[in-house]
Amino acid sequence: MTKLYTVAEMTGREIFRRRGVLVLLLTLPLAFYLARRTDHSGQAVRFVLLGVSWAVSVVALFAGSASRAIEPRLRLSGYRSHQLYLGRLAALWGIGAVLSVPYTLLVAVDQDAVRSGAVAVAMLLGVAVAAPLGLLLSAVLPRELEGTLALLIVIGLQMIIDPSATVARSLPFWSSREIATYAVDHVDSGYLERGVLHGLGFMIGLTVLVAVISTLRLRRRPHLRVMPIQ
Amino acid sequence: MEQERRSQWLRGVLDLCVLAMVAEQESYGYQLAQRLERAGLGVPGGTLYPVLLRLQRTGLVEAQWRESGSGPARKYYRITAAGVRMLRQASLEWTEFVGQVELVLRKVATR
Amino acid sequence: MIEAHNNQWLAALAVELRRCGVAPDLAHHVVHEVATHLRDSGEAASQVFGTPAAYAAAVADSLGPSTGIYQARRPTGQVRLAVRGVSKRYGRRSVLRNVDLTVRAGEIAAIVGANGCGKSTLLRICAGILSPDSGEVFIDGRIGYCPQEGGTYDFLLPDEHFVLVGAGRGMSRDQAVSDGRRQAGHLGWDARERVLARHLSGGTRQKLNLVMSSLGDPEILLLDEPYQGFDRGTYLDFWDQLWEWRNAGRAIVVVTHLLNHLDRVDTVLDLTPSAPVTGVGQRRAEP
Repeated sequence: MTKLYTVAEMTGREIFRRRGVLVLLLTLPLAFYLARRTDHSGQAVRFVLLGVSWAVSVVALFAGSASRAIEPRLRLSGYRSHQLYLGRLAALWGIGAVLSVPYTLLVAVDQDAVRSGAVAVAMLLGVAVAAPLGLLLSAVLPRELEGTLALLIVIGLQMIIDPSATVARSLPFWSSREIATYAVDHVDSGYLERGVLHGLGFMIGLTVLVAVISTLRLRRRPHLRVMPIQ
Repeated sequence: MEQERRSQWLRGVLDLCVLAMVAEQESYGYQLAQRLERAGLGVPGGTLYPVLLRLQRTGLVEAQWRESGSGPARKYYRITAAGVRMLRQASLEWTEFVGQVELVLRKVATR
Repeated sequence: MIEAHNNQWLAALAVELRRCGVAPDLAHHVVHEVATHLRDSGEAASQVFGTPAAYAAAVADSLGPSTGIYQARRPTGQVRLAVRGVSKRYGRRSVLRNVDLTVRAGEIAAIVGANGCGKSTLLRICAGILSPDSGEVFIDGRIGYCPQEGGTYDFLLPDEHFVLVGAGRGMSRDQAVSDGRRQAGHLGWDARERVLARHLSGGTRQKLNLVMSSLGDPEILLLDEPYQGFDRGTYLDFWDQLWEWRNAGRAIVVVTHLLNHLDRVDTVLDLTPSAPVTGVGQRRAEP
């Protein structure tokens, strides 16, 4: 537990020292929101949700990339793989949850007739999916630049694709769109249920993928035998 | 004759004097030689460095090679915690010893 | 005139020190220190230090009966690391061919060879973070691994690195920080400074890297050219530290492309393709 906590703490410290990233975190969702505020209020809510998700996944990508070269030595220093990725995820989820508070409040105060509880759920689900998504991209793509581009593509597609199309469901942040519709347009609770299921499914699926890749990458290779020699 | 007596006395306490010099300020060999010289306790380098090695071996000082400005790398000596303890203890003993010697010799001088 | 005399005197001293049984690593330091003194004072060696033989005897005497930190080799301990028949190729290029290496507790092994001959690859295989195509590695003990680069977090302080690695080793925060700072001190670095790793100079970051790998006293140290960016003084401190670790019974493998310190290691493994593959323990005499 100490080990997991230490990884989480150091991930947090490391992120908070990246001022540029923090500015991005705090302002990007706001910019997204303000850009669409004069439109249909549903769009503004959807965009702030996507903004928070995108910001958290970028931060996760950076945190993952920064750790990539160090994890093998941490593994050799006595950490288990799960302590490394779970500690990192815990920090990212925590930061995302904190970030969600002001934006949920913003929507609740600024928008009339919006189901604020549903907005909060959508935002938290977005964060829950974004953290393992960013870590996954940092694990499979060699450089931050490529990971950032991949995230741009995901978010871009998310913005332009028709949400009712089947293919839209294969995108990680479809849930926020679905729940936003429930929150803004007061449609039936089927939207909420589908959204929550989708979000949880993606969170679990991505986390499992991160776990599998980390465990594989950081496994002790079978040629190495630990034993008294002669 | 006088010179020889002095160097005999010094031999007994040179380790302590060098240790005290190092305690005062982290220094390299030549610096220490100069400071001893100024203190009126000049010893040839051939005597000083073996003392430093002995102090290092017994853990009373520690040494570190360091680049100094333009010059070559120098070995800097610094006192350790054990050195400080030992120096404090020994200087108390020395003061007591000198007091006793003085008591004995004063009688001669004032006779 | 004096310079020629002094150089001759120093060469004679090196010979005498060897004759007195002073370990080569220490002899090197003693000669260097005398040379520095003479350069500073501008005096003639024989006036300040007497005859080379007498001075060598005084040095040997002050070291006592082989109890110094630089003592000649102790009998070495159990085998800590055994590489057996390791081969590795990248595509069609074979970088390691049937490599064997044995390192015991209290030994330093140097892996040498030209750039790209597989030194780092072998070290990563020893650490178990890269698979060979064939062969096995046996280890007995915990590993401390110092990668050539990228072993630190840009946005963390030195102390935070110590805490992070220390927690993995089961050390408390205070213990990790004080151990880390102490070891940094041995390398001439005051690690108390609150500077992010990204703002440390290359050499200092390597010191951080090195301290991280030895925190918690792992029995086996795998060091991949850890001295890059070190100045001359730190470089000597680094080797001092290595010998201290060796004398404390650790098994050390150090990758190097510099050959001028090979006289101070116990085993040399030359990975240059034309060289014989298996390292044989060799020690060269001091100049």
